[in-house]
Amino acid sequence: MQLAEPFAMTQPAISRHLKVLENAGLIVRRIQGAKRPCRLSSAGIETVDRWLAMLRDALAQNYDRLDGVLADMVENGEELK
Amino acid sequence: MSKLTIKTEGDLHVVVTRHFNAPPQAVYRAHIEPTLIQRWMLGPDGWTMPVCTNEARPGGKIRFEWRGPDGSGFYLTGEYLELEPYSRIVHIERMHLPDTTPDNHVETRFDPDGSGTLMTMRMTLPDAETRSMMLASGMEHGMEASYVRLEGLI
Repeated sequence: MQLAEPFAMTQPAISRHLKVLENAGLIVRRIQGAKRPCRLSSAGIETVDRWLAMLRDALAQNYDRLDGVLADMVENGEELK
Repeated sequence: MSKLTIKTEGDLHVVVTRHFNAPPQAVYRAHIEPTLIQRWMLGPDGWTMPVCTNEARPGGKIRFEWRGPDGSGFYLTGEYLELEPYSRIVHIERMHLPDTTPDNHVETRFDPDGSGTLMTMRMTLPDAETRSMMLASGMEHGMEASYVRLEGLI
């Protein structure tokens, strides 16, 4: 209920969004009487961070290599063909 | 100096930008001609791409097969949706690790930037749930060897 207050959304809509986040491992929910307190899952967030870091490394290496390929094309006068 | 930027946009997109010191024609061609692709789209050092099928026309098939230093490998398949020489490519791709990852929709733009090119690659990722499965799968199989991503999340 508290999480729904700032948003122009119904409680069931908020619950569906939270369920998606929970299934994705980005938040953790527990049962406390009638309440369902949520917290961010540091492991889930860390996984996303690590994935982005890996993507960045792979792309950086690819594009550094592409710089070399492009330099060869320019040197051989093939860049506008 | 790092020329690469990578950021998430909303829940479903990853946007990558990179400047290249060559005109858009050259950068575009390096993305669709197999003999050029095989020279750079390799991920970490030591990996090669022995198979590169790339039918650069709408509906054309994509198949990239990578081989690692230890002989292991994986592949990517996809299809082209739109090609606008030399400014824009839209395609869908998925990895086979060997489990198949959800489709990753990728729009790549090549815009003149000084005497060079600004490339902007916008990946549209699956929903948060399949994205998390993909993350877990990518971690297990060393998805660092290629895009993504992402090429879905990738």
